[in-house]
Amino acid sequence: MTTSARSRNEEIKEASRFLRGSIASGLEQTATGAIAEDDTQLVKFHGMYQQDDRDLRPERLRKKVEKAYSFMVRLRIPGGEMTPAQWLAASRVARERGNATLRLTTRQTIQFHGLLKGNLRPALRTLHADLLDSIAACGDVNRNVIATTNPAQSASRAAGVELARRLSDHLLPRSRAWHEIWIDGEQVTGGEAEDEPILGGTYLPRKFKIAIAVPPVNDVDVFAHDLGFIAIEENGVPVGYDVVIGGGMGMTHGEPDTFPRVGDVIGFCSPQEAVALAEHVVTIQRDWGDRADRRHARLKYTIERVGLARFVEELAVRHGRRLAPARPYSFVSNGDRLGWVEGEDGLWHYGLFVENGRIADHPGAPWLTTLETIAHRHRGAFLLTANQNLVIAGVPAGEREDIDAILDAAGLTRPGALRRNAMACVALPTCGLALAESERFLPTLVTDLERLLTRHGLDGQAMTIRMTGCPNGCARPYLAEIGLVGRGPGLYNLYLGGAFDGSRLNRLVGTDLDREAILAALDPLFAAYARERRDEERFSDFLIRTDRVAPLPEGPEAARP
Amino acid sequence: MSIALAEPPFAAEELAPLGALLARATAGQRRWLAGYVAGFDAALAAPTAAPAAPAAPPRPKLTILYATESGNAESIAAALRRDATRRGFAVRLRDAADTLPGELSDAGTLLVVASTWGDGEAPQRAAGFVTALEAADAPSLAGLRFAVLALGDRAYARFCATGRLIDARLAALGAERLAPLAECDVDFASPAATWSAARLSALATADAAPSDAASDRVIHVDFAGAATASRQAPAGVAVSELINLNSSRSDRRTWHVELDLAGIGLAYEPGDAIGVWPRNAPALVEAVLAAAGVPAEADLTESLASRYDLTTVTVPQVETIAQLSADSSLAALAADARAFAAWRADRQLVDLLALADRKLTAAQLVSLLRPLAPRLYSVASSRKLVGDAAHLLVAEVAWESHGRARRGVASGMLADTRPGEEVRVFVQPNRHFRLPGEAGRPVIMIGPGTGVAPFRGFLQEMEATGEKRPSWLFFGARRFHHDFLYQTEWQDWLRSGLLTRLDLAFSRDQPERVYVQHRIWESREALSGWIRDCASIYVCGDAAGMAKDVHAMLARILGADGDEQLSALARSGRYQRDVY
Repeated sequence: MTTSARSRNEEIKEASRFLRGSIASGLEQTATGAIAEDDTQLVKFHGMYQQDDRDLRPERLRKKVEKAYSFMVRLRIPGGEMTPAQWLAASRVARERGNATLRLTTRQTIQFHGLLKGNLRPALRTLHADLLDSIAACGDVNRNVIATTNPAQSASRAAGVELARRLSDHLLPRSRAWHEIWIDGEQVTGGEAEDEPILGGTYLPRKFKIAIAVPPVNDVDVFAHDLGFIAIEENGVPVGYDVVIGGGMGMTHGEPDTFPRVGDVIGFCSPQEAVALAEHVVTIQRDWGDRADRRHARLKYTIERVGLARFVEELAVRHGRRLAPARPYSFVSNGDRLGWVEGEDGLWHYGLFVENGRIADHPGAPWLTTLETIAHRHRGAFLLTANQNLVIAGVPAGEREDIDAILDAAGLTRPGALRRNAMACVALPTCGLALAESERFLPTLVTDLERLLTRHGLDGQAMTIRMTGCPNGCARPYLAEIGLVGRGPGLYNLYLGGAFDGSRLNRLVGTDLDREAILAALDPLFAAYARERRDEERFSDFLIRTDRVAPLPEGPEAARP
Repeated sequence: MSIALAEPPFAAEELAPLGALLARATAGQRRWLAGYVAGFDAALAAPTAAPAAPAAPPRPKLTILYATESGNAESIAAALRRDATRRGFAVRLRDAADTLPGELSDAGTLLVVASTWGDGEAPQRAAGFVTALEAADAPSLAGLRFAVLALGDRAYARFCATGRLIDARLAALGAERLAPLAECDVDFASPAATWSAARLSALATADAAPSDAASDRVIHVDFAGAATASRQAPAGVAVSELINLNSSRSDRRTWHVELDLAGIGLAYEPGDAIGVWPRNAPALVEAVLAAAGVPAEADLTESLASRYDLTTVTVPQVETIAQLSADSSLAALAADARAFAAWRADRQLVDLLALADRKLTAAQLVSLLRPLAPRLYSVASSRKLVGDAAHLLVAEVAWESHGRARRGVASGMLADTRPGEEVRVFVQPNRHFRLPGEAGRPVIMIGPGTGVAPFRGFLQEMEATGEKRPSWLFFGARRFHHDFLYQTEWQDWLRSGLLTRLDLAFSRDQPERVYVQHRIWESREALSGWIRDCASIYVCGDAAGMAKDVHAMLARILGADGDEQLSALARSGRYQRDVY
C-alpha cells in the first residue's frame, strides 16, 4: 500500500507524536469551544468526541457566535463493572460538568454529554481520582471490552469481567499522552521514548471491539464484534472460550460493498491463552487491515478480502498453534434479565430497565438522584449492561427491601415487554453522524407499537426493536427483530427477521418510511403473527417460517433488499 | 468656540455674494457654513486671532465646578459657562475630578453643579474632592462666595446627598452662600436652566458686569450644537437591525440594536452613550390607569405613554397616597428610609396605586407623576467602521414580582421594536471614557455582560484607523454557549492580532462561580506588567457588584497602596470607569 493512498486519518495518527497532536495548546484557546480539526480525530483515542448542539445550529450565525461545541466523553469500564464510589464520581461529573445526564451505552460504559472544553480536565481528574479513565474508549484502537452481566451465573460473570480487564489493559495504547494532557497537565520531560508494540505507531486501521458471552444469555451480542469469546462452562466455571471473529454492524447507505456481518466461530481457547490470542488477532488486523478506505477497514472486511481460512492460518502462525475445535454452546436470548435475580453466590441482583440508557432527573422520575441514593448505601457493584440497562449487583437478601423502597418511591416505572427490548443510539442533537432522530423518537414509536400489539391481542409479547440515526449501527439494529435505520429527517429503513437471540441478521424490507408507514408496514404482520403463530414462536422466526421475510445470506448480500 | 469680528475685513463687493448666499440659506446651511470656515482655518493652521479689541475693564471672575457621573451635571455646567461667557464673565470650568478644595480658595465666585449617584454616593471621579472637603483638615474657604445646584433622583433614599454635602461643607469652611441650595429631580433640564439664568443675573447685577460693547458683536459659533440632536431635541432614527445575542436557551436576552444614522448628524465617539427616550408600553399604561381607577381617555393615555415615569416609586408619591387614603402604615413607610428602600426594591408605581383605597382623578394621577427620563446605553460601535450607524447593546430587563410581570421601560420598548421603526435618541458624550490619546499605549478593558459594549466600539475604532496598541479584554457572562456576546467578533480580532489577549469568566459553567475579578487575579503578573508599560484600564458595567469587586482586585494586585495608585491612575486618565 503506498503512502499516498493512505487515508487522512493515517497521516494525522502518524504525525501525532503518539496521540498528542496540539490538543494541550488547543485547551488554552478559550475564545472557542472547539479544538483544531486534526485534533478532533486524536481526542477520540482519549475517549472523547467533539460535537455541537445541532438543535442550536440555525440560530447561531446570526447571533454572532460559533456552533455550540461541546464534548462527549466515554469511559473505559471493562466488563461494565463499577463500584458505588465510581458511580457517584460519574454522577457528580455529569451534574457539575456535563448536561446532568449519564448515558449508558451498548459497550457497557458511560458517556457524558455537553462537556465544555474547559471542563474536560476537571472532569477527567475527578474520574481519575476514583480510578476511572477514558483511554481508548473511542478511536482506532481496542474499545471498551464488554462481558456478560447476567448476574445469575456469578462465577462465570466474574471470570468474564476479569478477562475483560486483562484484555483491555493488555491492548491499551502505551502512550502516556492521556495522563499528560488531562491529568498531569504537562509533559513529563526526559521520559523514555515511547513505542506501541502491539497497536503500532499509527494504531489500528479502525475501531476494534471485543465481547465475552456466557451462554445461555447472549446479552453482549457476541457475533457483532471483531472478536468474541463464548464461555464454555463446566460445573459453573468457565474452562475456556469458543472464539468468534469478524462480526461487525456498520455499513454505509448506498455502498453495497459495506455490510453488517455475523462473526465466525473459529475454535476454542483456554482462559490462559485468551489474551495472547487477542493480541495476535489485533496484530493481523493492524498489518492487513485497509488503511486507505476507512469504510472497509474493520476486521470483517479484512476477513472477507483474504478469506477466513487464510486469516485463521495466519493466526495459527502468530499464535504458535492451531486452536482446538469449537465446543457446543447454546444461546436462548440476548436481552437482560430485569428485576431481582438470585446469583449462584447467594447474593441478589436487581436488573433495572433504563430507557435508551439515559439516566437523568426526569420530571416525576428522578433517576440520577435515586441512583445516587442507592450508591450511598449499596456496598456491591453497579453493572452496566450491553443493552444499556443497569444491574444493582451483590445485594444481600436482607437489603432487597431497602433497594425496592428507594426505587418505588422514585416511581421508576416497570416497562412493557416491547420497551424492555428496545434500544436506540444517541443521534440528534449531539451526534454529528445522525441523519434522523433516534433516542428522542423511539420511545414514542414504541408507545405506538404497543398500542398496535394490544389491538392484536399481543400484549406482553417480547420482541427486539432497535433504532439508529444513521447506518453505522451503534445500537446494533441489524440484529434486531425490528430494525430501523435513519435515512433522513423522519425517514427510516425498516429491517425485519433478525433473531431474538441475536444469532441471525435481519433483512431490509422497506426504505424511507415515516412513522405512519412504519406502523402501516407492521400492522398486517402483527395481525398475521397473532393469528398464525405457533407456541412460543418469536415474531422474527414466524416471519421467516411463513416466507414473509426471506432468511439472509451472510456477508456482502446482507445490505441488499 | 467663538470668532469675534471687529470690522469686516472684506470689501463690500466681496461680501455681496456671501450676503446673497446667506440670505437664501437655511439655518442648517448657515451652521454648516460657519463650521466649514472654522474647519478651513484649522486645516491651514491659520491664526484666527481677532484684531485687537479695545481695552476693556477686567471681567468678573467666575468658577464653575461640576461633579458628574453620566454627564448631566457636566452638560449643565458647560451651558452655564457658555451663558456666563456671553454675559462677560471670565469663566473657569473645573471638573471636581481634577480639583482639590484648596484650589478654590481664591476663586472668588463659585457655582457648583453636583449630581448624586446610586444610593446617595458622590460621582465616582469626584469622590476624592468630596472626601477632601469633608476632611477635618479641609482648608478655610473664607472669602469664597458660592451657590450649589444639586441633581438627584427622588426614587432613592438619599436624594441630592452630594449637592447637600458640598453646600453644607462650603458654608462650614467659611464660604458665603449666595443662594440656597437648589435641588433637581430627574426632570432637571428646565429647573437647571432657570437656576443658571437666575444665578448669572444676580451676579451680573451684583458685580455690575460691563455690557461690553464688543460682546454684542461677537458671533457665537457653537459647534457642539451644530445639527446635533440633544437630550431636549432628540433625533428620530430608524432601528435597522435587532438581534437577541443570547441563545434561545439563555435565561437572558441582550439585544444588539443597530440604528440607521444616514442623513442624521449624530456625531459620537466610542465611549459615548446614546440616550434613548422611551415610551411606556400600552399594557403598563393600562395597568396604571386601572390601578388608579382613572378612565382610559385617548389624550391621557398618550400623555402617560410618552411623558411620564410610570414605574419608579418615590417617597412623595407614597406620602400623597398615604394622605389620600388616610393610611398610617403607608405614611410610616414613607417616613422610614430603610423600610422604604426595601419596599420599593421589587415594587413599582402600579403597586402603590393599587394600595389607594379610593379612585384618583386624572389630575391627581398626573400630579403624582414624574417626567419620563431617557435611558443611556454605551455605544457599541465606531462610526469610522460602521459608517452611518450606531450599535447599542441592550440588556432586556424583565422580571416578575408580586404577581405582576415587569419590564424595563426602554429595553422592553427596544426589544419590541421592529426594524424600520423609529426611536428618539441623542448623544451623551463621555469624554472621560476614551481610548488613550498617545499612540501605541496598551489598553486593558474589563467589561462583563453589556459592559463589553464600549470595547467593541474601541476595537472597531482601532480597526478603522489602523492604529496598533496592545489590547486585553476581560469578558464574563453566565454561560459560554448561551451568553457569549459577540463571540465570533472577538475571535476574528484575536486572529488578526488587533485584540492581543482575551480572558473569559463564565460563572455558571462549573461548580464554582468564576467572575472577571478572578481572571484578573489569575493574570496578576501579566497585568502588573501591562500597567508598568503605561496601560490604561477601563471598566464598564455593573457598578454595585462587578466594578467594586474589580476595583478591589486591582488594588490588591497593585499592593499595599493599591487604592492610592488607582486614584493616581484615575487622575491621569489611565483608570476610567463607565459603570451603572
